[in-house]
Amino acid sequence: MNTIAHVLVIDDEAQILRALRTILSAHHFRVTVARDGEEGLALAVAEHPDIIILDLGLPDMDGIQVCEQLRQWTQAPIIVLSVRNEEGDKVRALDKGADDYLVKPFGTQELLARLRVAQRHAAMSHGEPDTVIIAGDLVIDLARHIVTLSGFEVKLTATEFKLLAYLAGHANRVLTHQNILNHVWGPEYRDNVEYLRVFMSQLRKKLETQPKHPAHLISEPGVGYRFVTD
Amino acid sequence: MTVTLFLARQELNASTISLLYLIPVIISTTLWGLWSGVLSAFAAFLAYNYFFIKPYYTFTVHNTQDIVALIIFLIVAVVISQLIGRTRSGLAEAVARENETIHLYQLSLELAGASSLDEVASVIARKVDETVHTTELELSIQPIYEKVAFQFSIPEGRQSSGEPDQIIPLETVRAFLGEIRLWLGSRLLTPAEERLLKAIAAQGALALERVALAHTETQARILEESDRLKSILLSSVSHEFRTPLSTIKAATTSLLSNEIPWEEPARTDLLMAVDEEADYLNYLVGNLLDMSRIEAGALKPKRQWNYLSEIVESAADRLHKQLSNFQLQIDISEDFPLIAVDYYQMEQVFTNLMNNGAKYAPKGSKIQIKASLQDQDFAIVKVTNEGPQVTPEHLDRIFDKFYRVTEPEKVSGTGLGLSICKGIIEAHGGRIWAENIPGGLAFVFTLPLTLDGNPPPHIEVESI
Repeated sequence: MNTIAHVLVIDDEAQILRALRTILSAHHFRVTVARDGEEGLALAVAEHPDIIILDLGLPDMDGIQVCEQLRQWTQAPIIVLSVRNEEGDKVRALDKGADDYLVKPFGTQELLARLRVAQRHAAMSHGEPDTVIIAGDLVIDLARHIVTLSGFEVKLTATEFKLLAYLAGHANRVLTHQNILNHVWGPEYRDNVEYLRVFMSQLRKKLETQPKHPAHLISEPGVGYRFVTD
Repeated sequence: MTVTLFLARQELNASTISLLYLIPVIISTTLWGLWSGVLSAFAAFLAYNYFFIKPYYTFTVHNTQDIVALIIFLIVAVVISQLIGRTRSGLAEAVARENETIHLYQLSLELAGASSLDEVASVIARKVDETVHTTELELSIQPIYEKVAFQFSIPEGRQSSGEPDQIIPLETVRAFLGEIRLWLGSRLLTPAEERLLKAIAAQGALALERVALAHTETQARILEESDRLKSILLSSVSHEFRTPLSTIKAATTSLLSNEIPWEEPARTDLLMAVDEEADYLNYLVGNLLDMSRIEAGALKPKRQWNYLSEIVESAADRLHKQLSNFQLQIDISEDFPLIAVDYYQMEQVFTNLMNNGAKYAPKGSKIQIKASLQDQDFAIVKVTNEGPQVTPEHLDRIFDKFYRVTEPEKVSGTGLGLSICKGIIEAHGGRIWAENIPGGLAFVFTLPLTLDGNPPPHIEVESI
């Protein structure tokens, strides 16, 4: 990333805008802010931001609607800000094209991590995707179907590998239960969360140093899973 | 009778026979009433005339003395039969009155037992139906307090068929509450039935009014209670919020002031305090939101198949700071079935229950979480701590909002944690309670094993 990334923040709370502007500028982002959905959509068209941070609770229109409209013409990563306990909204936003979400109140480290993932993702969509994913001691070679942990090869079943490959291929991004089930097992299994539970538990036992306190295969309660590399 | 007397004709004289002829008259009057008595008196007179007065086998009479006897006999027969008849109808009336009284007594008993408008209406309708055996009956009740107008019909679900034959209003001194409409077919109501119906209507109307008034009173009491709880909530919340806010304010103003050049460790310490207190405020707000959702009945668990152990571990991770001074022991077997719960809400339950242990139990003691199968339908989960026991009278009440065994000043929190747990567990179809155990306290709850009637899924893991 040689150029400075441009972030558009759409949120109606003045204090949040002020804080984000300060924090993001300090971390070398260019920041534009919008106070409602209309302004956000207009600024997105005018300024072509690299990343959009969108609050779901806007005064003039539904955040999910904004998300949907943005997706009609831009592939810029959208990070949704939502409040806890509204898993349904998060899943809907992700279904409508959002790339990730952050639960308010969030820490700066969390926000920056999401922005980094979004930047990487935006860059990746222009070039070849990585075929080797490294997450600590864990190395996943997607092309050669080989998974090693601390240098030792780990045997995975066909479904386990398919699941891991899908998650690792979208490293650090949240994937909804339905999305994963649909992709790994097929559309007729899209509501069978129990498959995910069982296979994720198997994967954790094989790949995590502490399966009960996973470092890479992370649950996002009520939403889905995230493969975390660092 | 006539035959017997005929055979004894020679031995008895006419006047004796006439006296004996009073017997059938009395019997028939007693058994079948006034008119049959009069009829049998005439029949007896004719038979007596025909068989026993010379000339025999004719209705003609020659002896004047016999004629007089005959007329007297007839008069006596009629008078006696009338007297008996009158006694009989008097008795019948007395029985009818007694029946009415019993009817009304039963009605008042049943009405006293009815506690809702629907129950009262059904009692009235049934009683009216028992009293007059209508072909169809409809009870229509005016809107009373929040309840909309409603109807009660016998037979159930009947379609209205034309104008009713009789309408009896249900009204009290204060208000008109509705009416009873009767379809009687072709017959009319007797005065007795009409009287009884009016009495039923009067009692029924009073019962309706009583239920309505009782309801209004309950509503008023509920409002009063909820007002009281709201003010407790507000005071408890303001108190709880002010503490972390004070810390934040103190830390930030110190850092902002230029009087002291803060050393790096001191700066970090102050900022960490701000960070922790912000998290605590967030937790408080979350609790309040959960509570208001439970109150509004809006807490709909999104039940999905989950591993209980994963949820417990995740809650424990979140609480690691509070639990750092305790030994945490999680006993959930590897092969424990998947259980249909809302991940997020269950995590909240475990967080609150473990947090409760951490708040009251002595440092260094053990907090244990154990899950097992209670029977085919329920799993049972125990969260135990080695904290102080709770006296039996408090055991149920600790799940009430704001209920505290200890003084609020001594322990932090909104007093909502356990009642949120209760709300969540009950929304899942389970039950939660507290038990004193040797050397501590256990929170126990059950969770249904099935989801929409389906047992926990068993998924075969493929081999390599």
